[in-house]
Amino acid sequence: MSMNSTAIQQTPKSQINFEQVKKKQRMKNFSKGMLFLLPSIILFSVFLFYPLARTIYLSFFLTDAAGATTVFVGWENYVTMFTSPIFLQSMKSTFLFVLYTVPITIIISLFLAVIANEKLKGIGFFRTIYSSTMGISVAAASVFWLYLFHPSMGPLNLLLNAIGAEGIGWLTDTSWALFAIAITTIWMNIGFTFLILLGGLQSIDSSLYESADIDGAGYFYKLRRITIPMLSPTLFFVVTVTIINAFQTFGQIDILTQGGPVNSTNLVVYSIYREAFVNYKFGSASAQAVLLFIIILLMTFLQFKFGERKVHYQ
Amino acid sequence: MKKILAILMLGFVLFLAACGSDGNADEAAGSATAGAEGTSEGSGDNEKQVVTFWHSMGGAGQEALNAIVDSYNSSQDEVQVNAEYQGSYDEALTKFNSVAGTDSAPTIIQTFEIGTMSMINSGSILPIQELVDADGYDMSGLEENIINYYSLDGTFYSMPFNSSTPVMYYNKDAFEAAGLDPEAPPETFEEVEEASKAIVEANPDMKGFALQAYGWLYEQLLANQGALLLNNDNGRTDTPTEIGWTEEEGKSIFEWVERMVNDETFANYGTNGDNMVSGFLAGDVSMFLQSSASSRDVIDNAPFEVGIAFLPHPEEKERAGVVIGGASLWMIDGKPEAETNAAWDFMKYLQTPEIQAEWHVGTGYFAINPAAYDEQVAVDAHEEMPQLNVTVEQLQATTSSFATQGALMDMIPEGRKIMETALETVYNGGEVDDAYNTAVDQFNTAIEQANAARGE
Amino acid sequence: MTIPTGRKVIFYILLIISGFLVFAPTLMAFAMSFMSNKDIMTGSLPTSLSFDNYVRAFGQFPLLKYLLNSLIISLVIMLGQLILSSLAAYAFVFLEFKGRDLLFFVFIATMMVPFEASIIPNFHIIRDLGWIDTYPGLTVPFFAMAFGTFLLRQNFKQIPKELREASQIAGMGDFKFYLTVVLPVARTSLLTLGVYGFLTSWNMYLWPLLTTTNDNVRTVQIGLKQLQTQEQLNDWGVIMAGAVIVVIPTLILLFLGQSKLQKGLTEGALK
Repeated sequence: MSMNSTAIQQTPKSQINFEQVKKKQRMKNFSKGMLFLLPSIILFSVFLFYPLARTIYLSFFLTDAAGATTVFVGWENYVTMFTSPIFLQSMKSTFLFVLYTVPITIIISLFLAVIANEKLKGIGFFRTIYSSTMGISVAAASVFWLYLFHPSMGPLNLLLNAIGAEGIGWLTDTSWALFAIAITTIWMNIGFTFLILLGGLQSIDSSLYESADIDGAGYFYKLRRITIPMLSPTLFFVVTVTIINAFQTFGQIDILTQGGPVNSTNLVVYSIYREAFVNYKFGSASAQAVLLFIIILLMTFLQFKFGERKVHYQ
Repeated sequence: MKKILAILMLGFVLFLAACGSDGNADEAAGSATAGAEGTSEGSGDNEKQVVTFWHSMGGAGQEALNAIVDSYNSSQDEVQVNAEYQGSYDEALTKFNSVAGTDSAPTIIQTFEIGTMSMINSGSILPIQELVDADGYDMSGLEENIINYYSLDGTFYSMPFNSSTPVMYYNKDAFEAAGLDPEAPPETFEEVEEASKAIVEANPDMKGFALQAYGWLYEQLLANQGALLLNNDNGRTDTPTEIGWTEEEGKSIFEWVERMVNDETFANYGTNGDNMVSGFLAGDVSMFLQSSASSRDVIDNAPFEVGIAFLPHPEEKERAGVVIGGASLWMIDGKPEAETNAAWDFMKYLQTPEIQAEWHVGTGYFAINPAAYDEQVAVDAHEEMPQLNVTVEQLQATTSSFATQGALMDMIPEGRKIMETALETVYNGGEVDDAYNTAVDQFNTAIEQANAARGE
Repeated sequence: MTIPTGRKVIFYILLIISGFLVFAPTLMAFAMSFMSNKDIMTGSLPTSLSFDNYVRAFGQFPLLKYLLNSLIISLVIMLGQLILSSLAAYAFVFLEFKGRDLLFFVFIATMMVPFEASIIPNFHIIRDLGWIDTYPGLTVPFFAMAFGTFLLRQNFKQIPKELREASQIAGMGDFKFYLTVVLPVARTSLLTLGVYGFLTSWNMYLWPLLTTTNDNVRTVQIGLKQLQTQEQLNDWGVIMAGAVIVVIPTLILLFLGQSKLQKGLTEGALK
């Protein structure tokens, strides 16, 4: 990992290699590090680690409606989960959803960032427009799309009717619903991804382009050989965050489909919400949450292990 | 330049910090004044008792509700009711379960009918029966078919508030255009199919019938055949251990839908009732089942004449009637006696004929107190919109039995979702046998799990 | 550095088409918020435009108060996140200590905990702290932010190590270095993170709904939800008016932040 490469330097004063001094220095460094991290660590402990521990604990129990444990069942919640066709379907939908949303979001946003990176008159206006979806809350965006997808008065179906095609049951047809949720999510994510990628593009040293211009390099050559490699730290960041967000999609499903039709959009976080808020099965909801946590952790670990190697830091 | 920017940044940060502490100060001041209000109202000359009322009514329902609460607050000067929205019924219940027993708990909470068993099990409620007995309140004025739902083992638990039943809405103009008698709507499953075919034949752009994938409607279609949802008399004599309907009763609904899907007379709106209603208003479908609470909206917004009919039933079965749906008000236990009594006074106010008439006409929900239908506003409205009468007639024509009294168990919300999934499977061309059997298995498992979770 | 006219035209066409596609849903909502429900229902073009929907949205609950609450909460969260994230990111980039990498992964791991999944235990904590219906209950849980730490770490890593070595030789302490060198250099990232933090806090829904029981500290997103009904017909015009009210402040902020961001970014690029 690249961070190890930065660990070579030592403070010049402690060059005399006495174990004692080294140890002391290490202690000092450690406590200094902790001092900077303490506020975050305390808050994480209270509002993340403790609830997480509690979630793991709950996953071995059955609970009543108030969330109090009633019966210890060991691994049963996990066994039920892995044998339940509904949950397996939900896992499958979640992975499909990640596959639909992540690449498309990044491609569209990268395209927008590239065209908005030109020095043209009025470009600020377009940048604001492209980043606008970031300012639209999940609740508001879902309401917009709920109407767009409306079977009889929604603009999308009216458009289809106008060109003589049959209207689509966007949110009611099992083969379309997940796709419809993906469209909504991509739209909502574009603003943020665009902004980050644009920031990345702008921080690329312009002298690189100037020397390429002198060599007579074409537009797409520059895009491929300069822009993309220099953008890699930003891209890495954006991919990681988009994947995690995709796994945690919730609000748009709650408003658009409630997990239907036939559970086709019942993504994991929504399934957890349902188990806890509607079915009062905090035990099995917790088991699902633990599994989701492990999956995302694993994926991100792999990404750091293999992805960050390719990232080029200036 | 950089320095200026840095200074600007710092200024910005300081400004934010100021805002932040301002916010905290505001909040402290806010809670202080709130507290002061509370005490001054408690000990001041007008002695107002505050009642906190949690509800889940958004949109137009909230407007109607607020109007009633305001009218109560200004009708007397001893009690101040604060109506506070808490999100959907599910969200409100989850919140309530977490704060029950603390100071944050409300005096009254509105909960949907299928939350009844959870509320009884929660141990943090006060059965309304106790207040009725202590007060000598006369219950005979209230609609029996509604009260029945909220009673278990002779104890009346919660005060019905927004009550509704499903009815069939149909487009009278489309019926006429298809050569059907708009005054004789179909009564059985088979007649609905026939009418749907006629509609589609007359107008290929319009579908015949829509059934929202909604577990509540499935339960109602079962009850209308006299079938039970859960065994042990719908959970009213003992805790249910499995489903209460027979395969013939349960499957008839699926097969009915499948026949219409095959005839291409069925419109699929999935689980979204709002889309279905607007499809109806736009002339995309001629008949649908929906809560009577929508009647006012549908009639007002339709550019054609709307008919309302009884819920259909299979030809070979007698019509048994409908189960009450909607929500009721629960009294929370452990509050000071004065607060509970004030809340009880508010509940009684809600049941007066004048208020019930206003509520019924304004929303389409039933009047809990049938005397309300004799109020002038109600008489006028029924004259103007005779369809509203049909909803009342259907409720009053219901024969009282365990089937129409409705099922009670804490897993019903989960059961509804299971039936919705099964219905959607059929809408999307799935096999009835598969969908039905899977649903029954899942339903029984859910019952078992709920029983296991109670540790009994 | 001039762009040929032919390419300019192509870019403008691309920009305009994409701009329209991205902005169309928002534009539609804006138009609908002025239309009567009957026009919307029948799918016709607006026959009349009015502010009725806004009047009704404002009449239903104290929207202004909700807006103010949202503003306070979002600003406090944003500030808390900036301070905590930059401190943590500094430690991860510039300080060498045992277990640093492990700790960083633990931090990143917290990003994986879906908030909805741990919302009930979290709610119980707030309840036990007595923070229901208070600003701390709505803000403090969000101060520590793995995402922000991650973003700033990526940015701090691009600051030359020599800068720190030089400052250490000059006898500058870590905190002073953090305050006088790192923060000003990373100001664009801080601004980006600030805008992001503000927007996400502004847009929170489930948590504010759970931890508030009355209008005193409620936020606008809950107002938007209240406009939707459960058993009756949706009044699309009013809902869209509510959505527009909720969205306008964030769009303005984005518009302002955008131009500032632009200045900062270009300056940073020139170095």
